[in-house]
Amino acid sequence: MHNNVNINVHHITRVEGHGNIVVNVKEGKIEKLQWQVPEAPRFFEAMVRGHSYQDIQTIVSRICGICSITHSLAATKAVEAALGIKVSEQTDKLRILMHYSEQLQSHVLHVGYLAAPDFFGTPSVVPLVARAADAVKTIVKAHRIANTWSDLIAGRTTHPVTLTPGGLTKIPTEKQLRQLQQTLKDAVPDLKKIAEVVLSVAANVPKFERPTEYVSLKQTTPPTYTFYHGGITSNDNKGAVMPIEKWHDVANEYVVEQSTAKWTKWHRDAYAVGALARFNNNAELLSPMAKDAAKVFGLQKGCCNPYMNTVAQLVECFHVVETSIEIIDQLLTRGLKTEKVTSSPKAGKGSGCVEAPRGILFHDYEFDKNGKCVAADICIPTGQNHANIQKDFEKLLPEILDQPEKDIRLKLEMLVRAYDPCISCSTHFLDVQFVK
Amino acid sequence: MTNQSQKKDTIVIGLGNILFSDEGIGVHLIRKLSENQGKFPSVEFIDAGTGGLNILHLIANRKKAVIIDCVKMGKNPGTIKRFEPADVKTVKKMMHFSLHEADILRIIELSRQLGECPDQIVIFGIEPESLELGQNLSETLTDKIDLYIDTITKSFS
Repeated sequence: MHNNVNINVHHITRVEGHGNIVVNVKEGKIEKLQWQVPEAPRFFEAMVRGHSYQDIQTIVSRICGICSITHSLAATKAVEAALGIKVSEQTDKLRILMHYSEQLQSHVLHVGYLAAPDFFGTPSVVPLVARAADAVKTIVKAHRIANTWSDLIAGRTTHPVTLTPGGLTKIPTEKQLRQLQQTLKDAVPDLKKIAEVVLSVAANVPKFERPTEYVSLKQTTPPTYTFYHGGITSNDNKGAVMPIEKWHDVANEYVVEQSTAKWTKWHRDAYAVGALARFNNNAELLSPMAKDAAKVFGLQKGCCNPYMNTVAQLVECFHVVETSIEIIDQLLTRGLKTEKVTSSPKAGKGSGCVEAPRGILFHDYEFDKNGKCVAADICIPTGQNHANIQKDFEKLLPEILDQPEKDIRLKLEMLVRAYDPCISCSTHFLDVQFVK
Repeated sequence: MTNQSQKKDTIVIGLGNILFSDEGIGVHLIRKLSENQGKFPSVEFIDAGTGGLNILHLIANRKKAVIIDCVKMGKNPGTIKRFEPADVKTVKKMMHFSLHEADILRIIELSRQLGECPDQIVIFGIEPESLELGQNLSETLTDKIDLYIDTITKSFS
């Protein structure tokens, strides 16, 4: 056991935004151990006030470059709930296809570019090319397929333009859908290759467990491994499903000194959201290939090793691809129809909830009789994981205090990265120094 | 699905977040440039927003890539400067340095290692005046839009 440990990781790399890890151990006693999120709070809600219900999804799509489709979908669903707008089955299926494209984009990005370097012991994906060129090329190929998929359904890779209250402004042709389906079928061997590569270094996934509450969507009619429909559940909620409108009673947001982001808690002092939460609440509903992938990694329902969230994401890659192939079959069998999208303003309040790649996301909006937004509230998944990361730290550190300081630091960093946090999701401007 | 062979030789990518004033200058300029798409048949204009690593795919196997972004260069607000990746020693995000919102130099390096990097990459950096929450550009940058468009379009040839 070390008498003294001092770790100050400012702006942890390979996560979205800023987060700090602070550890002070003096004479074997932990004096300070914090997961800090020091970013200035962002007032996205204020950005949409005064805007028309028709523009909300476009504005919020700019909150994040990774989850832009997810934010747009949550907003669109909330607007439709507020205004009592129903959408067709075709729109519903196309939106789910759109959503799955982002799940694949984000998961491949996290598993392949952000987490893999930890397992291979390289600082980033760039030096990994020299060590495992084929693996990196396969990851890039899968990521590229996901991007092109988003382009087709959302009208753009990032910041979708086809979503509108009541439907979609543009739909793909049947020929394009057939091509997409073939591309997805052809991508399956690539996903298997990525899984093999991750499996080859899976021994480097730290062995750590801490039982916690896992919160996600759950869809019972029909039973589905859901990212889009259903209500809110958790392993502590005895199988009960809460309507999404009650999300404030789940999140119970509160303020802590060490973070500018609000923390959340439900039945315990913290809960986790994300791929592992979805898996723990819905694993039996995964597609056959996804179940096989979970089995290969020994990932089982009830897993409480947060590092396995990355593996759960990989499992979900198989699910979204396999399920999308089926959805395209259903769409093509029925034949795509051009649908007229109409909506009219009215006063109302509504909630929208979808699973972002990194966990459950809530949007609330209220509109006046002219359809102008008068109130908005957004609760992002990363914010819901902050308290859980802190609680993980508090159990993990005493278990690894006898390890070299650099290993302690790496394990804490890897833990944060496993949650795939997206801390600020907003600006990205460059800061350069010229050589000449 | 986009066929690689259908790609235009030159891609012009506007980066930034239009929710944070001048941070979105790259996107604002792409919108303006796209209005004259007819004049530039071999150029593709893309509003990539804060898509980060997607740049890797956008530039792949092109002859030339032009990137327009808000850049802190220590110049007067509104200054536009053309540079190439080799001209800068660090490119870091002030608020968001990560591989999600990826470091452009690192993306270019990855692109090179994958053997799909354009022969020429040009970055147009524009010094911001305001990065406050808001969907409008500062007056300083707004007044120079025509200058920016002129400077950038000259690089297409």
